[in-house]
Amino acid sequence: MAVEVKNTAPTWLHVAFACLGAAFALIFFWVLLRETTADWRTTQAAFRRLEASVKNPHQLAESARIGGLRQIWLPEIGRVDRCVTCHLGIDDPAFAAAPLPFTSHPGRWLTTHPTDRFGCTTCHDGQGEATDYRNAAHHPQPNVARPMRPTETIDANCGVCHRGLVPPDAPRLAEGRRLIADVGCFSCHEIPGYEGMAFRGPSLDSISYKVRPDWLSGWLKDPKSYLPQSKMGNFRLSSDEIAGLQAFLLTQRAQTPLDSSGIDWNKADTAKGRGLFGELRCVTCHAVNGRGGTMGPELTRIGDKVRRNWLFSYLKDPHRVQPDTPMLRYRLSDEQLRDLTAFLIDEYRSAETGAEPPPATSGDARLIASGQAAFERRGCASCHRVPGVKDPGRIGPSLAGVADRDPDELPYGNNVVRHSTGNYIFLKVLLPDTLGQPSLMPTFGYTPSDAAKIAVALESLRKTDLPASYVVRRPSPTPYQPAGRFGELVTRYRCLSCHSIGGYGGDLSTVPLDRIGSQLQHDYVTTYLLNPGAVRVSIEARMPVFHMLPDEARTIADYFSTVFLDDRMEQYNGTFTPAEAQRGQDLYRQLGCQACHQLGLQGGYVGPELSATGARLKPGWIAAWLTSPETYKPGTLQPDYGLSNTDARALTAYLSTLGRREASAR
Amino acid sequence: MTRVSITALLALLLSAACKKSSSPVPGEPMLNAIRAEQGGIGLSFSESQGKHLFLQYCATCHGDEGRGDGQNASNLKPPPPDLTVSRNDRDAASLRKVIAEGSAAIGRSPLSPPRGRSLSGEQIDDLVAYCQALARKKS
Repeated sequence: MAVEVKNTAPTWLHVAFACLGAAFALIFFWVLLRETTADWRTTQAAFRRLEASVKNPHQLAESARIGGLRQIWLPEIGRVDRCVTCHLGIDDPAFAAAPLPFTSHPGRWLTTHPTDRFGCTTCHDGQGEATDYRNAAHHPQPNVARPMRPTETIDANCGVCHRGLVPPDAPRLAEGRRLIADVGCFSCHEIPGYEGMAFRGPSLDSISYKVRPDWLSGWLKDPKSYLPQSKMGNFRLSSDEIAGLQAFLLTQRAQTPLDSSGIDWNKADTAKGRGLFGELRCVTCHAVNGRGGTMGPELTRIGDKVRRNWLFSYLKDPHRVQPDTPMLRYRLSDEQLRDLTAFLIDEYRSAETGAEPPPATSGDARLIASGQAAFERRGCASCHRVPGVKDPGRIGPSLAGVADRDPDELPYGNNVVRHSTGNYIFLKVLLPDTLGQPSLMPTFGYTPSDAAKIAVALESLRKTDLPASYVVRRPSPTPYQPAGRFGELVTRYRCLSCHSIGGYGGDLSTVPLDRIGSQLQHDYVTTYLLNPGAVRVSIEARMPVFHMLPDEARTIADYFSTVFLDDRMEQYNGTFTPAEAQRGQDLYRQLGCQACHQLGLQGGYVGPELSATGARLKPGWIAAWLTSPETYKPGTLQPDYGLSNTDARALTAYLSTLGRREASAR
Repeated sequence: MTRVSITALLALLLSAACKKSSSPVPGEPMLNAIRAEQGGIGLSFSESQGKHLFLQYCATCHGDEGRGDGQNASNLKPPPPDLTVSRNDRDAASLRKVIAEGSAAIGRSPLSPPRGRSLSGEQIDDLVAYCQALARKKS
């Protein structure tokens, strides 16, 4: 028995070793074969053939040295991108017309974002270390958290470095960030990039004097039913919560409206009110029936909402009620305010709205307490101030690093979607209550395309931090707060709601005030402030008629002409010969200025009307603008004709004569 | 014991099989929302860049769709042409010349101003590509 074992064992071992040897040999040759026939080798061979038809022999000898696996290693941002192993022509303009994967990168991005500093996956995502098409995750596939982005959502990766500033080539990121700022998501969520920004809904400390009780309950049930553009979302409140909140809010009487007891409402003239409504240019900021500005609330159904005495008081002094409102304080008499109030209340209301009920004086204490509890629970105080309720801070989860959450751990409810942070954020923003978890987040009623833009913006919030040299931060303009009488007027008339100084202020006006004193004639500023007209025919947003005092207008004009100056323009010699003016007039026609500018009754209405240019603009500014419009307003429609100094001077001479005689006769 | 475990195994296999056969293709709602907004027109990269520029610089007169019906078109004599009609004289070279040097450069009225100093060569190429796409769309 033992002998038999001794004899057979070596044979078995021999066989085993033979098999193992054969297996190793097979594996060896398989690996060899696999490496020599790898995708990237065939791709590179194809590229060499293409290269031969594009380049000259000298260039070919140069590039022949580059072969084999290629990679961009960026230890600073933790990336190894081997995409350039196949995308061989990516930064060579000679391959602009070549087919994929050899074509050069479209657009101008590689000049500002060279591959040796940014790699490929920084912008495109995908698996940079892979060396074949499938593993590089050109398309979504299971178990790959970051497949390559389609160009439609690539803006999200711009936002990773461009923290506050919006690059001009990322329109969806820009729009998404604007939507977030507009609705104030950062009131409930910590969102990097919005530090220090506070969204404030109207203060509710005196709301009992302000609104009708039935309006309030309807608003709480669904804000969009009153105002389709409402910034407040639908909190999906129960009827008990609505009753409680209504009772609680109607106890808020911190500030009584200004006294209107002396007003005889029977004498109110709504026709005069209508005239004022048009003259004051309320529609520049407030929309009516869907038309008008968006800075203030839409007024289409204001009569269903507010009480008459409150509106009178608000129009008289809006800054008393809400110190941070962008609304200006008009200089109107009590009679004018009465007519305007009566017009707004009568004109903009539904037929079924009845008479104004008297203000509530007492309520059910239990109901009020439950309302206060609901107010605190639902985080109302994150946006609205009410005495006695502490600002709870941000009640929603922080969104810092939200784009790096594991997509498979996020809830999607019954939605059958590819698991990705983008799809999750999109669904959460669009329909927060359908993700299978109870949610305190209101439904904002976004359109799918707006929700997608918000998702793009939030997808730029990555967890890992970048080296400072990669980060582009938002420039924070210094708040402009002039002192003295001019400062008072800027505050009263809220100039900075629409105009900007030093990058600070609103953007409704396309004219920053930084060099306005060198642009406009002093006398023109004074008359314009007293009775602002339309300089551009086709623009709907116009400067309000403030009912400013002549003295106030002079103060502003004086300040402009001593402070907001640009010395280069001030030094322009303003005496012109008649021959120069004549030559300018000829140039005006030859260049086709009439295509966009109206002069008399002729011409287009793209640019400003020019018939009073001489009385309106200073010659130095006319010449500077004509010579180099892009310097003063990038992206302007005003063409740069490359005018010689003589031609610019001639045109300036001609334009300076326009409206001059009328001005001096006055 | 064995019978229980076999039944359990069978049930598990069955449920796995059912799950696999009934699972629909996962959707891309975010991407679809963006694509729906963009519309179905297939523009190349350069053409879509050109479209942005066209809307900024040209649409006031030439119209958003290039039909010569912009808000300022009625003020112009001669009126802006309909760019969606393809014409033999509208080759890339002459389009480039009009955009860069103005319509006066090809012997027409001076109403279309030169943009060669405000736009880069590449931007003008994009605009040319989009203008050619407008004519292609119609035909």
